[in-house]
Amino acid sequence: MSTRNTISKLVTLGGLCTAVALVATGCGAGGPAPSSGGSGGSNSINVLVEAGGHAELTGVAEQCKKDAGVDVNFVELPYDGMFNRLSSEFSSGNVSFDVAALDSVWLPSFKDAVQPIDELFTDDVKKDIFPALVKEANVDGHFIGLPAWTNAEIILYRKDLFEDAKNKADFQAKYGYELAAPKTWKQYQDISEFFTKDGMYGTDVKGAVETEWLAHVLQAGSPMVLDKDNNVVIDNAAHKEALDFYVSLAKDAPSGAAQVDWAAAQNLFNQGKTAMTRFWAHAYRQIPADAPVAGKVGAAAMIGGSAGVAGVPGPWYLSVPKATKNTDAAKKFVKCAYDYNDKGIESKLGLASRISAFQKYQDQPGYESFKPLIETLNGQATATRPATAKWQQIVDTVLIPLLQKAVAGGDTSALLADAKNQIQDLLK
Amino acid sequence: MSTASITTKAGPPPSSASPSQPVLRRRGVNREGLEAGRRSTRTILWILLAVAMVLYGFPFLYLLFTSFKTPIDTIAVPPTILPREWTLENYTSALGRSGVVASFINSIQTAVISTLLSLVLAVPAAYGITRYKTPSGRVFIMAALVTRMVPPVAIGIPLASMMSSAGLADTPIALSIAHTTISLPLSIWLMSSFFESVPRDLEEAATVDGCSRLGALWRVVIPVVSGGIAVTAIFAFLASWNEFLFALLMTAIRSQTTPVVIANFQTQFGLDWGSMTALAAVYSIPVILLTLLLQRKIVAGMTLGAVKG
Repeated sequence: MSTRNTISKLVTLGGLCTAVALVATGCGAGGPAPSSGGSGGSNSINVLVEAGGHAELTGVAEQCKKDAGVDVNFVELPYDGMFNRLSSEFSSGNVSFDVAALDSVWLPSFKDAVQPIDELFTDDVKKDIFPALVKEANVDGHFIGLPAWTNAEIILYRKDLFEDAKNKADFQAKYGYELAAPKTWKQYQDISEFFTKDGMYGTDVKGAVETEWLAHVLQAGSPMVLDKDNNVVIDNAAHKEALDFYVSLAKDAPSGAAQVDWAAAQNLFNQGKTAMTRFWAHAYRQIPADAPVAGKVGAAAMIGGSAGVAGVPGPWYLSVPKATKNTDAAKKFVKCAYDYNDKGIESKLGLASRISAFQKYQDQPGYESFKPLIETLNGQATATRPATAKWQQIVDTVLIPLLQKAVAGGDTSALLADAKNQIQDLLK
Repeated sequence: MSTASITTKAGPPPSSASPSQPVLRRRGVNREGLEAGRRSTRTILWILLAVAMVLYGFPFLYLLFTSFKTPIDTIAVPPTILPREWTLENYTSALGRSGVVASFINSIQTAVISTLLSLVLAVPAAYGITRYKTPSGRVFIMAALVTRMVPPVAIGIPLASMMSSAGLADTPIALSIAHTTISLPLSIWLMSSFFESVPRDLEEAATVDGCSRLGALWRVVIPVVSGGIAVTAIFAFLASWNEFLFALLMTAIRSQTTPVVIANFQTQFGLDWGSMTALAAVYSIPVILLTLLLQRKIVAGMTLGAVKG
């Protein structure tokens, strides 16, 4: 009978739990704030944002509440799941958010699901946003997203090592010029070689990410992967030159380059294992205070090639879904995000999208990465990624495997020719 | 090991021994040999268990240690197992993050509802299938597994759309129903095997004593398979507690569960290992407690049917 009693107790407990859970569910007690997405006509909106970008918009939301009376609830999602979630909700026509922060590579995929916001792109606005971003925001003749923040790769280097008297003398003796932040790729190669000793490496080579190689392609004077008519140009001389250069750095980088991604490269640099890295500018302000390199890092603009300085911007755009019933409040928030764009700089990530916002901080201590970032984003060859809905697929299935094989010693000409065929098949 | 071989190894009996002594000695040697064999087997088993424990336990221990590391320690190259400096900073940071406590409540609600739904549906279904062995029952139990054969992402997006159309978007109940689609098929299979192990004579005896069929189920069969129910409940609870994809697709502000919040520590701009491992460690506590609480039932459930005859 004791077993029976136990079962009865468990059933009673289960019943109570269910009742409590159902009541709590009905009351929405489990959530931090009531949802209003798509409920219509209110001044409360839901903003879907990648977890890392949440802090960027928190200050904006507070200001927007004061100025425009718009209450903002953030829906945070991990980057890897966000595309699926957006696809799912856009395809169902029933969205749980009123504004979405979209990665630039997703804009072409969701162009039919979001509203044009041409009225927000006045001449003054266009002047204060980096040219490549203004161009990217315009899909099929309409502006469909306002950049909330942007990023680009710059050069981060170990200032303490570069300023060390012995290193300076040794470098001068070996290479015949002064050790300083590199301004040409030849210098970058020399410095990488110089610092590769005693368990340390001059730089890293990231085989698991494509952006860096694509920046070299732009610097070599070619559009990346696709030309303006969507012809595949990945096998041209610029792509080959860029790839050969990229691979040539592997001898002065930690082994296993094929598996090195952003996180690995950032760890290596923060641990003091590499003397230089080409990395997204936000990393400068995210060096842990207890890192061996804290306070010892310098920043320089991305280096130019024959076509000039070029980087691949990494902006995020705020877009308003067609399916929202809170269009007015949503657009008010997007406008707030532009008006108070510099609030993002005060966040942990510390980025913005307006040139004036970056300029406001560029001379302040702690923001030394901003001048190189502005210079890179304004670079004459800087360009955004091709506007094709298949871009992510091209990256995942063609470009990354290509790079991984190349850094592992593959024949670059053959790999590029093979990649061209694969991309043409994907675009058919 | 044969007796003969043991005798040979033990050597001939001393000449002064009485006639019965060699037999006893041989038996003694046999017992000692068997005992030694048992000890060796036990030692090997303990070593294997220890290896298995390390293999299973190490990732969790590493997670636990990482949660006490400083930011730079979490990304040390090469990695260290123990923190160089112990800190609770990661716990403060993770638990202080907005939405974390709410996500815990949501996870508990969702897992409890999903577990109860699974049991309420699986117990009668499994009982019916095992006691009324009909062709349709056999088809049903096979068909129940079909949902396990489809990749979750294939049903996740349609399920999210259906819940949204039903006005259940962003509610724990919607997620619970979705989680039940994962746990129900295996719950039915598990419960079926447990019901199979209960002799029909028990029910017949209860019927003779005046129980109805349902009465026999409630008063006799269910108490006998309570260990199995505990196992099934834990399985269903864990399936919901750890589920990520449906939670990602179906929840937003009101019902986001902790696995999604944990994943949010990995952003496009970096990975906060410390906070992520701290929250994951805290999130493991309820499951560990539940398992300890029901440990006796689980063992009973696992051995249920092992001696049927």
